[in-house]
Amino acid sequence: MTLFAHLAGRSPWLYRINAGSCNGCDVELATTACIPRYDVERLGCRYCGSPRHADIVLVTGPLTIRVKDKALHLWAEVPDPKVTVAVGVCPISGGVFRESYAIAGPLDRFIPVDVNVPGCPPRPQAIIEGIAKAIEIWAQRL
Amino acid sequence: MGFLKVLLNNLMKGPATEAFPFGPPPAAPHYRGRVAFDPASCTGCGMCELVCPGGAIRIDRDAAGLQLTIWHNTCVFCGLCAHYCLSKAIRQTDDWHLAHPQAEKFHLVERGRVSMIPCVGCGKPILPLSDEVMRLAFKGRTTEIERLRRLCPDCRRIASIREMRHAHRSLV
Amino acid sequence: MTEMPLPFAAVLFPGGVFALVLGLCLKGLDRRIAARLQRRVGPPLAQPFFDLIKLARKDSLVPKAAPRLLFLTLPLAGTSTAALAVALLPIGGVYAPPAALGDLLVLLYLLAVPAITLMLAGSASASPFGAIGFSREMAMVLAYEGPLLMVIAAVAVFVGRAEGQTVTFSLTEIVAWQQAHGPLIGEPALWPALLAYLAFYPANLGMVPFDIPEAEPEVLDGPLLEYSGPALGLFELMSATKAVVVLGLGIALFCPLAPADPATALVIHLLKYAVLTALGVSVVRTAMGRMRIDQAFRFFLKGPLWLALASLLLVLGRMG
Repeated sequence: MTLFAHLAGRSPWLYRINAGSCNGCDVELATTACIPRYDVERLGCRYCGSPRHADIVLVTGPLTIRVKDKALHLWAEVPDPKVTVAVGVCPISGGVFRESYAIAGPLDRFIPVDVNVPGCPPRPQAIIEGIAKAIEIWAQRL
Repeated sequence: MGFLKVLLNNLMKGPATEAFPFGPPPAAPHYRGRVAFDPASCTGCGMCELVCPGGAIRIDRDAAGLQLTIWHNTCVFCGLCAHYCLSKAIRQTDDWHLAHPQAEKFHLVERGRVSMIPCVGCGKPILPLSDEVMRLAFKGRTTEIERLRRLCPDCRRIASIREMRHAHRSLV
Repeated sequence: MTEMPLPFAAVLFPGGVFALVLGLCLKGLDRRIAARLQRRVGPPLAQPFFDLIKLARKDSLVPKAAPRLLFLTLPLAGTSTAALAVALLPIGGVYAPPAALGDLLVLLYLLAVPAITLMLAGSASASPFGAIGFSREMAMVLAYEGPLLMVIAAVAVFVGRAEGQTVTFSLTEIVAWQQAHGPLIGEPALWPALLAYLAFYPANLGMVPFDIPEAEPEVLDGPLLEYSGPALGLFELMSATKAVVVLGLGIALFCPLAPADPATALVIHLLKYAVLTALGVSVVRTAMGRMRIDQAFRFFLKGPLWLALASLLLVLGRMG
């Protein structure tokens, strides 16, 4: 059974939630997947279109008031076991939008975050590093 | 059929992927990464705290000196603090390994303490002037300057005036 | 050729388990080659197996508004049908399907079942994206079933007449005839049909440029949107096995030649699958972009349909 758990851990599917991000982090996320130089598929990752298929949720953006309920709803749609990664300083602390009236975040006020990848935006390698850390946590939960 | 040529070319050239998660990570020159703080050259001007857009820098002043705290989790790596830091006490390293588990979220800080030293003249606590500032302010370093360096602003003013009067008298 | 008992053929080899494993292997190969064509390293070859193991261990969520029983039976029906359909395909020199299992016409029906389960899955998932996926899948089926029927008719009539009958729908006979008289790929009258088949299989496999029903950026995986865990794994398995059926049918119809020695014949058969996957799946899906549904529909009405029809008429005319 542990062998199966180990093998299963090599197939983390990624899903990204944009919680009011400026798109900078999203571009870097797309970069990790699409640009041959970073190729996140080596780790067995795949970006999927539906939250139902996901294992690792990447959240970008400072969780604005308007998007808060929708983003949390979307996060709840992801079947267990899942791992949440906060990408960029916005979901971690609010970043430059910290203490703004339009911000409901930081993210860990509402959902349990597992890994933080600070940066504005974080460079693709840093995102890959964060995903690798998330995979370790996820393989234990599986 | 141009795309077939491209595909064939790609196949021949082989993968362009970096080794990173399995191999050594490359660091670009002049990469703006984790901010490092050197308390020895800090003058306590507070400019970094003022210009930081993310509010990542906080300076706590007390009687014994000042404590500078940088929280990397809200730093946007803009480099303004390093740019405005006259004495280069803040600089950016090429370290980007900042991804961390949630438990370490509030431990990802850079701290530095600048302690007051007593003024040689009156004993009032003053912030020490770093070598870097002296280098920026004066072309050469005389014993005169070195003596003034260890005085508080008030004592320094008195000492300067005394010097000037002495010089004036000797001229007359 | 050895005659195998029907349950064995349907469950173990070449249908059932063998088909599922082969499908996953081909999928792994495809992902690897596609990555190489994009100058990436790509996932390990066994990645589809990892994916499947992982999906088996995940939660299976069913939407409140969805009919639970239907929602969870559909992937099972689709996968088992696709796996069974492989048992209908003869492997030159190795395997001839038992007559009781059925002929080309049965295969045609079995080929339609995965598409139908996908459509029903889309409509059963009670999601607007699923509904869009459903309608798009329906349009695609309407577009490609016609050409496929005519391709099969052209081949059936050609071989049937060559053997002195009017038409033969037995794949075993078609393969045996080609073993004796050379592959149909060398028959000019059937070239248009071959072209039509080359347009049909990407549409049936739901791959670029015809991955319109499951387009991830457009309709968020369409019919599969609400599926998760083991049920989604079964759908992954279904799409992998469908590739074995469709590529296998292509091999059987146009180029089933193989040496008499069963072991060599099997290896050559698998090599054909690998080459077809590399050239026909990976290269095509890397080199092309997605069409719109109306473009794809019009494409099938203008191109493959007429090609297949032309082939059928040529065959009828030449021999009549």
